[in-house]
Amino acid sequence: MLSGGGTHPARSRGLGFRGAMAAAASSADMFDDIVMAEERFHGEGYQEGYAEGSHIGVVEGRRYGSLHGAKIGSEVGCYLGFALTWQCLLHKCTDEKNSKKTKVLDSLIGMIRKFPYEDPTYDKLQEDLEKIRGKFKQVCSILNIQSDFRISTERSSLTF
Amino acid sequence: MSWVQVAISRSSEDIFDEDADEIYIAQKEWNSAMKKRLKEGYRDGIEAGKELALQEGFNQGYRQGAELMVTCGQFRGTLNALLSWCHLNGHDSALSKINHLLDVVGKREDDVLKYLNSTQEQSHLGDILDFVQDMDLSDTAPAGTECDAVKAGKYEHIGSSGKTSCRNNGKDDSLQSECSKAICTDPEKPTLAWVKEQTVWLVEQLGLSLDMLHHVQQLGY
Repeated sequence: MLSGGGTHPARSRGLGFRGAMAAAASSADMFDDIVMAEERFHGEGYQEGYAEGSHIGVVEGRRYGSLHGAKIGSEVGCYLGFALTWQCLLHKCTDEKNSKKTKVLDSLIGMIRKFPYEDPTYDKLQEDLEKIRGKFKQVCSILNIQSDFRISTERSSLTF
Repeated sequence: MSWVQVAISRSSEDIFDEDADEIYIAQKEWNSAMKKRLKEGYRDGIEAGKELALQEGFNQGYRQGAELMVTCGQFRGTLNALLSWCHLNGHDSALSKINHLLDVVGKREDDVLKYLNSTQEQSHLGDILDFVQDMDLSDTAPAGTECDAVKAGKYEHIGSSGKTSCRNNGKDDSLQSECSKAICTDPEKPTLAWVKEQTVWLVEQLGLSLDMLHHVQQLGY
Protein backbone atom coordinates (compact mmCIF):
# COMPACT_ATOMS: atom_id res chain seq x y z
CA MET A 1 0.00 0.00 0.00
CA LEU A 2 1.06 3.48 -0.60
CA SER A 3 2.10 5.56 2.30
CA GLY A 4 2.13 9.28 2.75
CA GLY A 5 -0.65 11.70 2.02
CA GLY A 6 -4.22 11.06 2.94
CA THR A 7 -4.04 12.40 6.45
CA HIS A 8 -7.30 12.87 8.16
CA PRO A 9 -7.80 15.25 11.06
CA ALA A 10 -9.61 12.76 13.28
CA ARG A 11 -6.90 10.24 12.69
CA SER A 12 -4.35 12.05 14.75
CA ARG A 13 -5.07 10.19 17.98
CA GLY A 14 -4.99 6.89 16.21
CA LEU A 15 -7.71 5.22 18.25
CA GLY A 16 -9.66 2.23 17.08
CA PHE A 17 -13.25 1.50 17.89
CA ARG A 18 -12.73 -0.01 21.30
CA GLY A 19 -9.92 2.34 22.03
CA ALA A 20 -12.20 5.22 21.28
CA MET A 21 -14.76 3.87 23.67
CA ALA A 22 -12.26 3.29 26.40
CA ALA A 23 -10.99 6.80 26.00
CA ALA A 24 -14.53 8.09 26.18
CA ALA A 25 -15.12 6.24 29.41
CA SER A 26 -12.06 7.47 31.16
CA SER A 27 -11.87 11.07 30.14
CA ALA A 28 -13.80 13.99 31.39
CA ASP A 29 -14.85 15.26 28.02
CA MET A 30 -16.50 11.97 27.33
CA PHE A 31 -19.28 13.40 25.31
CA ASP A 32 -16.97 15.22 22.99
CA ASP A 33 -14.93 12.11 22.52
CA ILE A 34 -17.92 10.11 21.52
CA VAL A 35 -18.93 12.70 19.02
CA MET A 36 -15.36 12.67 17.82
CA ALA A 37 -15.63 8.93 17.38
CA GLU A 38 -17.74 9.55 14.33
CA GLU A 39 -14.95 11.58 12.90
CA ARG A 40 -12.45 8.93 13.85
CA PHE A 41 -14.35 6.25 12.06
CA HIS A 42 -14.64 8.42 9.05
CA GLY A 43 -10.92 9.01 9.34
CA GLU A 44 -10.10 5.36 9.58
CA GLY A 45 -12.20 4.58 6.57
CA TYR A 46 -10.67 7.48 4.74
CA GLN A 47 -7.19 6.32 5.48
CA GLU A 48 -7.87 2.83 4.25
CA GLY A 49 -9.75 4.09 1.23
CA TYR A 50 -6.99 6.50 0.42
CA ALA A 51 -4.39 3.76 0.32
CA GLU A 52 -6.63 1.56 -1.79
CA GLY A 53 -7.55 4.46 -4.07
CA SER A 54 -3.93 5.37 -4.56
CA HIS A 55 -3.16 1.84 -5.60
CA ILE A 56 -6.09 1.65 -7.98
CA GLY A 57 -5.24 5.05 -9.39
CA VAL A 58 -1.62 4.21 -10.05
CA VAL A 59 -2.46 0.92 -11.70
CA GLU A 60 -5.20 2.39 -13.82
CA GLY A 61 -3.24 5.47 -14.71
CA ARG A 62 -0.23 3.42 -15.62
CA ARG A 63 -2.23 1.27 -17.93
CA TYR A 64 -3.74 4.20 -19.80
CA GLY A 65 -0.44 6.00 -19.79
CA SER A 66 1.54 3.09 -21.12
CA LEU A 67 -0.84 2.55 -24.01
CA HIS A 68 -0.79 6.22 -24.86
CA GLY A 69 2.98 6.39 -24.57
CA ALA A 70 3.34 3.25 -26.67
CA LYS A 71 1.25 4.78 -29.42
CA ILE A 72 3.28 7.96 -29.54
CA GLY A 73 6.59 6.12 -29.16
CA SER A 74 5.69 3.86 -32.04
CA GLU A 75 4.66 6.75 -34.24
CA VAL A 76 7.67 8.91 -33.52
CA GLY A 77 10.03 5.95 -33.78
CA CYS A 78 8.55 5.09 -37.13
CA TYR A 79 9.07 8.59 -38.50
CA LEU A 80 12.62 8.58 -37.25
CA GLY A 81 13.47 5.17 -38.69
CA PHE A 82 11.89 6.15 -41.96
CA ALA A 83 13.68 9.47 -42.21
CA LEU A 84 17.09 8.11 -41.20
CA THR A 85 16.79 5.30 -43.71
CA TRP A 86 15.87 7.63 -46.53
CA GLN A 87 18.68 9.91 -45.54
CA CYS A 88 21.07 6.98 -46.03
CA LEU A 89 19.41 5.98 -49.27
CA LEU A 90 19.76 9.45 -50.72
CA HIS A 91 23.20 10.03 -49.37
CA LYS A 92 24.97 8.68 -52.40
CA CYS A 93 23.24 11.02 -54.82
CA THR A 94 24.10 14.66 -54.54
CA ASP A 95 22.24 16.32 -57.37
CA GLU A 96 20.06 19.30 -56.72
CA LYS A 97 16.80 17.40 -56.64
CA ASN A 98 18.12 15.12 -53.96
CA SER A 99 19.63 17.87 -51.93
CA LYS A 100 16.18 19.36 -51.55
CA LYS A 101 14.88 15.99 -50.37
CA THR A 102 17.77 15.62 -48.01
CA LYS A 103 17.11 19.04 -46.59
CA VAL A 104 13.51 18.21 -45.76
CA LEU A 105 14.59 14.89 -44.27
CA ASP A 106 17.23 16.60 -42.17
CA SER A 107 14.63 19.01 -40.92
CA LEU A 108 12.28 16.18 -39.93
CA ILE A 109 15.09 14.31 -38.18
CA GLY A 110 16.05 17.48 -36.32
CA MET A 111 12.49 18.00 -35.16
CA ILE A 112 12.20 14.42 -33.91
CA ARG A 113 15.55 14.52 -32.14
CA LYS A 114 14.51 17.63 -30.28
CA PHE A 115 11.11 16.22 -29.40
CA PRO A 116 10.86 14.83 -25.84
CA TYR A 117 8.19 12.35 -26.90
CA GLU A 118 8.72 10.23 -23.78
CA ASP A 119 7.96 13.07 -21.40
CA PRO A 120 4.25 13.25 -20.61
CA THR A 121 4.72 16.51 -18.76
CA TYR A 122 6.08 18.31 -21.81
CA ASP A 123 3.44 20.93 -22.44
CA LYS A 124 3.84 21.10 -26.20
CA LEU A 125 3.71 17.36 -26.75
CA GLN A 126 0.64 17.43 -28.96
CA GLU A 127 1.63 20.61 -30.70
CA ASP A 128 5.09 19.33 -31.63
CA LEU A 129 3.69 15.99 -32.69
CA GLU A 130 1.35 17.73 -35.11
CA LYS A 131 4.25 19.63 -36.59
CA ILE A 132 6.23 16.42 -36.98
CA ARG A 133 3.27 14.76 -38.66
CA GLY A 134 3.04 17.66 -41.07
CA LYS A 135 6.73 17.48 -41.83
CA PHE A 136 6.48 13.76 -42.37
CA LYS A 137 3.71 14.26 -44.90
CA GLN A 138 5.89 16.79 -46.66
CA VAL A 139 8.72 14.25 -46.74
CA CYS A 140 6.46 11.60 -48.22
CA SER A 141 5.20 13.99 -50.83
CA ILE A 142 8.66 15.14 -51.87
CA LEU A 143 9.84 11.52 -52.04
CA ASN A 144 6.78 10.71 -54.10
CA ILE A 145 5.55 8.15 -51.59
CA GLN A 146 2.01 7.84 -50.36
CA SER A 147 2.02 7.80 -46.60
CA ASP A 148 -0.16 4.70 -46.62
CA PHE A 149 1.68 3.10 -49.48
CA ARG A 150 2.17 -0.34 -48.12
CA ILE A 151 1.73 -2.74 -50.97
CA SER A 152 -0.79 -5.56 -51.00
CA THR A 153 -1.43 -5.81 -47.30
CA GLU A 154 -4.24 -4.73 -45.09
CA ARG A 155 -2.05 -2.77 -42.67
CA SER A 156 -1.46 0.81 -43.63
CA SER A 157 1.70 1.14 -41.70
CA LEU A 158 2.43 4.78 -41.93
CA THR A 159 -0.92 6.18 -41.02
CA PHE A 160 -1.67 6.95 -37.42
CA MET B 1 -28.89 10.18 20.06
CA SER B 2 -29.64 7.17 22.17
CA TRP B 3 -26.34 5.52 21.41
CA VAL B 4 -24.56 8.34 23.10
CA GLN B 5 -26.32 7.65 26.36
CA VAL B 6 -25.61 4.01 25.99
CA ALA B 7 -22.03 4.68 25.38
CA ILE B 8 -21.77 6.88 28.41
CA SER B 9 -23.56 4.58 30.76
CA ARG B 10 -22.04 1.36 29.55
CA SER B 11 -18.80 2.51 28.19
CA SER B 12 -16.70 0.28 30.42
CA GLU B 13 -18.31 -2.76 28.89
CA ASP B 14 -17.84 -4.11 25.47
CA ILE B 15 -20.62 -2.43 23.63
CA PHE B 16 -20.29 -4.92 20.84
CA ASP B 17 -21.47 -7.63 23.15
CA GLU B 18 -24.83 -8.25 21.62
CA ASP B 19 -25.98 -10.40 24.54
CA ALA B 20 -26.60 -7.38 26.66
CA ASP B 21 -30.31 -7.19 25.95
CA GLU B 22 -31.34 -3.78 27.17
CA ILE B 23 -28.87 -1.96 25.01
CA TYR B 24 -29.07 -4.24 22.04
CA ILE B 25 -30.98 -1.90 19.78
CA ALA B 26 -28.97 1.10 20.80
CA GLN B 27 -25.78 -0.81 20.06
CA LYS B 28 -27.05 -1.72 16.69
CA GLU B 29 -27.72 1.89 16.02
CA TRP B 30 -24.29 2.83 17.19
CA ASN B 31 -22.70 0.11 15.14
CA SER B 32 -24.52 1.01 12.00
CA ALA B 33 -23.83 4.71 12.51
CA MET B 34 -20.13 3.97 12.88
CA LYS B 35 -20.12 1.56 9.99
CA LYS B 36 -21.73 4.20 7.89
CA ARG B 37 -19.08 6.70 8.87
CA LEU B 38 -16.40 4.15 8.13
CA LYS B 39 -17.84 3.46 4.72
CA GLU B 40 -18.24 7.12 3.93
CA GLY B 41 -14.68 7.71 4.94
CA TYR B 42 -13.53 4.82 2.82
CA ARG B 43 -15.40 6.14 -0.18
CA ASP B 44 -14.04 9.64 0.26
CA GLY B 45 -10.56 8.21 0.72
CA ILE B 46 -10.75 6.10 -2.42
CA GLU B 47 -11.78 9.08 -4.49
CA ALA B 48 -9.07 11.31 -3.07
CA GLY B 49 -6.34 8.68 -3.39
CA LYS B 50 -7.33 7.70 -6.87
CA GLU B 51 -7.54 11.20 -8.18
CA LEU B 52 -4.07 12.01 -7.04
CA ALA B 53 -2.51 8.74 -8.15
CA LEU B 54 -4.05 8.57 -11.61
CA GLN B 55 -1.85 11.27 -13.04
CA GLU B 56 1.22 9.88 -11.36
CA GLY B 57 0.48 6.41 -12.75
CA PHE B 58 -0.24 7.84 -16.15
CA ASN B 59 3.10 9.60 -16.25
CA GLN B 60 5.00 6.50 -15.19
CA GLY B 61 3.17 4.33 -17.69
CA TYR B 62 3.55 6.81 -20.48
CA ARG B 63 7.32 6.81 -20.22
CA GLN B 64 7.50 3.05 -20.08
CA GLY B 65 5.18 2.63 -23.02
CA ALA B 66 6.97 5.20 -25.12
CA GLU B 67 10.39 3.78 -24.41
CA LEU B 68 9.27 0.22 -25.07
CA MET B 69 7.62 1.01 -28.34
CA VAL B 70 9.97 3.47 -29.94
CA THR B 71 12.30 0.70 -31.10
CA CYS B 72 9.51 -1.22 -32.78
CA GLY B 73 8.53 2.02 -34.45
CA GLN B 74 12.05 2.58 -35.72
CA PHE B 75 12.13 -0.87 -37.23
CA ARG B 76 8.81 -0.29 -38.89
CA GLY B 77 9.90 3.07 -40.26
CA THR B 78 13.17 1.64 -41.53
CA LEU B 79 11.45 -1.25 -43.24
CA ASN B 80 8.83 1.02 -44.71
CA ALA B 81 11.53 3.26 -46.13
CA LEU B 82 13.26 0.24 -47.64
CA LEU B 83 9.95 -0.95 -49.02
CA SER B 84 9.23 2.34 -50.71
CA TRP B 85 12.78 2.58 -52.02
CA CYS B 86 12.62 -0.95 -53.48
CA HIS B 87 9.26 -0.16 -54.96
CA LEU B 88 10.49 3.01 -56.62
CA ASN B 89 13.69 1.39 -57.83
CA GLY B 90 12.24 -1.77 -59.24
CA HIS B 91 13.56 -4.21 -56.66
CA ASP B 92 10.22 -5.90 -56.59
CA SER B 93 11.58 -9.25 -55.53
CA ALA B 94 12.51 -7.82 -52.13
CA LEU B 95 9.03 -6.53 -51.43
CA SER B 96 7.52 -9.70 -50.04
CA LYS B 97 10.46 -10.21 -47.76
CA ILE B 98 10.15 -6.67 -46.40
CA ASN B 99 6.44 -7.09 -46.00
CA HIS B 100 7.03 -10.22 -44.03
CA LEU B 101 9.46 -8.42 -41.74
CA LEU B 102 6.90 -5.66 -41.32
CA ASP B 103 4.36 -8.27 -40.28
CA VAL B 104 6.76 -9.59 -37.67
CA VAL B 105 7.32 -6.09 -36.32
CA GLY B 106 3.58 -5.47 -36.35
CA LYS B 107 2.97 -8.62 -34.32
CA ARG B 108 5.68 -7.56 -31.95
CA GLU B 109 3.95 -4.23 -31.48
CA ASP B 110 0.66 -5.98 -30.85
CA ASP B 111 2.36 -8.15 -28.24
CA VAL B 112 3.80 -5.13 -26.48
CA LEU B 113 0.41 -3.43 -26.47
CA LYS B 114 -1.29 -6.55 -25.15
CA TYR B 115 1.33 -6.82 -22.48
CA LEU B 116 0.90 -3.20 -21.43
CA ASN B 117 -2.86 -3.53 -21.42
CA SER B 118 -2.96 -6.73 -19.44
CA THR B 119 -0.39 -6.24 -16.72
CA GLN B 120 -2.49 -4.17 -14.41
CA GLU B 121 -0.52 -5.23 -11.40
CA GLN B 122 2.88 -4.52 -12.83
CA SER B 123 4.25 -2.17 -10.30
CA HIS B 124 7.91 -2.87 -10.63
CA LEU B 125 10.23 -1.73 -13.28
CA GLY B 126 11.71 -5.23 -13.09
CA ASP B 127 8.72 -6.66 -14.89
CA ILE B 128 9.21 -4.24 -17.69
CA LEU B 129 12.88 -5.00 -17.88
CA ASP B 130 12.17 -8.71 -18.04
CA PHE B 131 9.87 -8.06 -20.86
CA VAL B 132 12.39 -5.94 -22.67
CA GLN B 133 14.86 -8.74 -22.25
CA ASP B 134 12.41 -11.02 -23.97
CA MET B 135 12.64 -8.77 -26.95
CA ASP B 136 16.32 -8.32 -26.41
CA LEU B 137 18.11 -7.13 -29.45
CA SER B 138 21.50 -8.43 -28.57
CA ASP B 139 20.22 -11.95 -28.48
CA THR B 140 20.75 -14.06 -31.57
CA ALA B 141 17.25 -15.04 -31.22
CA PRO B 142 15.12 -17.86 -32.41
CA ALA B 143 13.66 -17.03 -35.67
CA GLY B 144 10.75 -17.13 -37.95
CA THR B 145 9.39 -19.72 -40.20
CA GLU B 146 10.69 -18.21 -43.34
CA CYS B 147 13.71 -20.27 -44.13
CA ASP B 148 12.62 -20.59 -47.72
CA ALA B 149 12.25 -16.85 -48.22
CA VAL B 150 15.85 -16.30 -47.30
CA LYS B 151 17.35 -19.06 -49.33
CA ALA B 152 20.78 -18.19 -50.40
CA GLY B 153 20.95 -16.50 -53.72
CA LYS B 154 17.38 -15.41 -53.88
CA TYR B 155 18.35 -11.78 -54.04
CA GLU B 156 21.69 -12.19 -55.65
CA HIS B 157 20.65 -10.34 -58.76
CA ILE B 158 19.76 -7.37 -56.63
CA GLY B 159 23.15 -7.34 -55.04
CA SER B 160 24.95 -7.41 -58.34
CA SER B 161 22.80 -4.73 -59.91
CA GLY B 162 23.32 -2.40 -56.97
CA LYS B 163 24.88 0.78 -58.28
CA THR B 164 27.06 1.55 -55.34
CA SER B 165 27.86 -1.69 -53.70
CA CYS B 166 29.99 -0.92 -50.69
CA ARG B 167 29.87 -4.29 -49.15
CA ASN B 168 32.70 -6.30 -48.01
CA ASN B 169 32.68 -9.82 -49.31
CA GLY B 170 34.38 -11.40 -46.38
CA LYS B 171 31.82 -9.92 -44.07
CA ASP B 172 29.10 -11.08 -46.34
CA ASP B 173 29.87 -14.71 -45.81
CA SER B 174 29.79 -14.49 -42.08
CA LEU B 175 26.56 -12.55 -42.19
CA GLN B 176 25.07 -15.11 -44.47
CA SER B 177 25.96 -17.96 -42.19
CA GLU B 178 24.94 -16.08 -39.08
CA CYS B 179 21.70 -15.29 -40.74
CA SER B 180 20.92 -18.85 -41.68
CA LYS B 181 21.96 -19.99 -38.25
CA ALA B 182 19.51 -17.55 -36.80
CA ILE B 183 16.58 -18.49 -38.93
CA CYS B 184 17.07 -22.22 -38.76
CA THR B 185 17.33 -22.56 -35.02
CA ASP B 186 14.08 -23.85 -33.77
CA PRO B 187 11.70 -20.94 -33.57
CA GLU B 188 9.07 -19.99 -31.13
CA LYS B 189 8.57 -16.47 -32.23
CA PRO B 190 10.62 -14.18 -34.40
CA THR B 191 12.15 -11.44 -32.32
CA LEU B 192 13.36 -7.97 -33.14
CA ALA B 193 16.88 -9.36 -33.06
CA TRP B 194 15.89 -11.66 -35.86
CA VAL B 195 14.24 -8.82 -37.77
CA LYS B 196 17.42 -6.87 -37.39
CA GLU B 197 19.57 -9.65 -38.78
CA GLN B 198 17.22 -10.10 -41.65
CA THR B 199 17.28 -6.39 -42.36
CA VAL B 200 21.05 -6.29 -42.26
CA TRP B 201 21.11 -9.20 -44.65
CA LEU B 202 18.65 -7.44 -46.92
CA VAL B 203 20.67 -4.25 -46.91
CA GLU B 204 23.70 -6.29 -47.92
CA GLN B 205 21.82 -8.01 -50.66
CA LEU B 206 20.49 -4.75 -52.02
CA GLY B 207 24.02 -3.42 -52.12
CA LEU B 208 23.19 -0.40 -50.02
CA SER B 209 25.72 1.84 -48.40
CA LEU B 210 27.63 1.24 -45.19
CA ASP B 211 25.72 4.17 -43.73
CA MET B 212 22.60 2.18 -44.21
CA LEU B 213 24.12 -0.87 -42.60
CA HIS B 214 25.28 1.23 -39.71
CA HIS B 215 21.82 2.69 -39.27
CA VAL B 216 20.21 -0.75 -39.09
CA GLN B 217 22.83 -1.98 -36.67
CA GLN B 218 22.15 0.99 -34.41
CA LEU B 219 18.46 0.20 -34.13
CA GLY B 220 17.43 -0.47 -30.58
CA TYR B 221 20.47 1.10 -28.97
